[in-house]
Amino acid sequence: MRRRDVLRTVGAAALAAPAVRSAQAQAKTLVFGGSVPLTGAAAETGLNVNNGYITAVSYLNDKLGGVEIAGEKYKLELKLFDDASDPARATTLIQRQIDDGTNFFLGSFGSNIVLPTAAITERAKKPMVQTGGGSDAIFTKGYKYVFGMYPRATRQFASTAALFKTLTPTPTTYSVIWTNDAFSKTAGEGVKLSCDAAGFKRLDAFELPAKPTDVSSVLGSVRANSPDLLVCVMHDQDSLLIARQMVASNTYVKLLFQGLGPQLASFREALGKYSEALLCSTYWDESVPYKDKFFGDSRKFAEYYRSKITRPIAYHTAGAAACIETYILAMQAAKSTNPEAVREALAVADYETFYSRIKFTPDGDGDPIIMGSMIGQVQKSKLEIVYPEAASSAKAIYPQPAWDKKA
Amino acid sequence: MNLIAQTLADGLVLGGIYALAAVGFSLIFGVLHVINLSHGILVLMGAYLALILSTALRIDPLLTMPLVMIGLFCVGYVYQRFLIQRAVDRASVNSMLLTFGVALMLQNAMIWLFSPDMKSITPSYAFASFKLGPVNFDAVRVSALAASLVLLSLLALFLKFSPLGRVIRATAQQTMAAQLCGVNVRHVYALTFAVSAAFAGAAGIVIGIILPFSPADEGNWTLNAFVVVVLGGVGSPAGALIGGLLLGVVNTLTAQYVGPAFPNVTMFLLLVLLLLVRPHGLLGNAFAASR
Repeated sequence: MRRRDVLRTVGAAALAAPAVRSAQAQAKTLVFGGSVPLTGAAAETGLNVNNGYITAVSYLNDKLGGVEIAGEKYKLELKLFDDASDPARATTLIQRQIDDGTNFFLGSFGSNIVLPTAAITERAKKPMVQTGGGSDAIFTKGYKYVFGMYPRATRQFASTAALFKTLTPTPTTYSVIWTNDAFSKTAGEGVKLSCDAAGFKRLDAFELPAKPTDVSSVLGSVRANSPDLLVCVMHDQDSLLIARQMVASNTYVKLLFQGLGPQLASFREALGKYSEALLCSTYWDESVPYKDKFFGDSRKFAEYYRSKITRPIAYHTAGAAACIETYILAMQAAKSTNPEAVREALAVADYETFYSRIKFTPDGDGDPIIMGSMIGQVQKSKLEIVYPEAASSAKAIYPQPAWDKKA
Repeated sequence: MNLIAQTLADGLVLGGIYALAAVGFSLIFGVLHVINLSHGILVLMGAYLALILSTALRIDPLLTMPLVMIGLFCVGYVYQRFLIQRAVDRASVNSMLLTFGVALMLQNAMIWLFSPDMKSITPSYAFASFKLGPVNFDAVRVSALAASLVLLSLLALFLKFSPLGRVIRATAQQTMAAQLCGVNVRHVYALTFAVSAAFAGAAGIVIGIILPFSPADEGNWTLNAFVVVVLGGVGSPAGALIGGLLLGVVNTLTAQYVGPAFPNVTMFLLLVLLLLVRPHGLLGNAFAASR
């Protein structure tokens, strides 16, 4: 070997040595797998969920330099794939990740996707923490490894019914409309259970196809019966169709509650002044008072989100970030990254995060009292929290003005 | 009585919109014998173009129709001449696979360009309504129906009386004979596709005014067009109109008298029955694809 070659080899080795040492000292990696709908029918909210996951991981890695679990430093890594809002594709993706050794899963959006994917992670005994599926079917099959950021669908309406009781003059009658999909159907059942139990008289219950294009006949019946309250539980696009046709056909009710829709800026923009006084569920708002071990509080989370992502923040985004935070808190409590140990810690979780206090029922859904919904109402184009009183930023407007009187 | 009148009126209005959305699909099927699975994407392209143009130019969305139709006409011509025709030349089934693939790609391109969020076109009269006797009409849906009827009539007149319309009909009826008479069949196919794409774009504007839309909706509009064409018969505006109106009326009557969850059930039941009893559709005509 010539002298020049020896020098070259030694030089290269000297340069490489620190890199090798730093690789040895690098934090371990904690992988979170799953799928999210970035295309297809559920993509609008899917994107919000995905942004929440990205925000949490970016903050924990870049701002905090990773997380410490049982004395060891971990960096977080997301392995999320687009399931195109297709349950069949989602199940294939999840099965492949299980085969590849992923231990922790985050949820997709939509009960129709979460349900079959949860069946796969359950069989493999891998935990899934999710903010996209509320259908009762997810939490009533005896699954032990799936945890949800909301109460199951039939329990979600209890707080709304409680709000209805506080209105003056007290409403007495209601009608409910839902679409034929896994979440909306059970949510419709929940509306009936909660409102009937609260003493409201049900005038009508309508089931629409999963993708309605016209609701004039249903609105004709609503006009004929004139309920005080009209409750619509369906996805955003269908809520907008109903609201638009209600305005155009001058179908007035004293209060219109739409489970999903008014929380989105695009929905309020599309309806313009007619969105005033519409109510919806929301599970998070920047103003909630919770303290957080990692982000500090809700406002700081929202600030960090906005510094990274231009898309308007939504409660699904916060819920998704809270899924990752909940995992980390459970791992720290368990002092382990073993899936079984983490599952045990999740089952007894009682943590305060910027999103909410996190506590699951024995079936895995969110505790209905602690993690139940807040009620938002559109007031001057902004979503104000009107219930519960402790978190409220405005008083509920009731009855809503007639459509042609909305300014 | 009022309820029946209201239900029928709602059904006819809805049906007119289905008809306009399907006529392009019908024409392509009838003349080119191609099942265009990217039809819904062309409809959505019209909706998005109208949204952009009406916002940028601050004009009524219906006034953007000429621009949108010209744009889609050009897209349709190029799409047929340089992609679909090549696929058809190899094997006719290739065109189905190709249009399906293009639909998937363009749906993702739309998500990338416009986000997956729902959009809606909101003209000044978006929430207006009027009454005729006891029947309440949604002004925006009626204006959509009027636009549909005008466009379908214009297309029918174009096919019946214009030289190009005659050539299109001749090509549809006897491709070989048209070729022997000196007709450039490939050019006619591309023009037919272009006209169909222009009408799909016009339908997109009308749909965008009455319904929220997002890239994920493209499949629904292809499926609806397919059902309308099977009901009404391929290749003619009249077939699309009959099929569309029938579908609209069946939809609202079912929702009112059977249950709001059942319109799809009756729609597909009707489809199966018609395929058994009258497979060429109600106005089954002499176009090659329906024989």
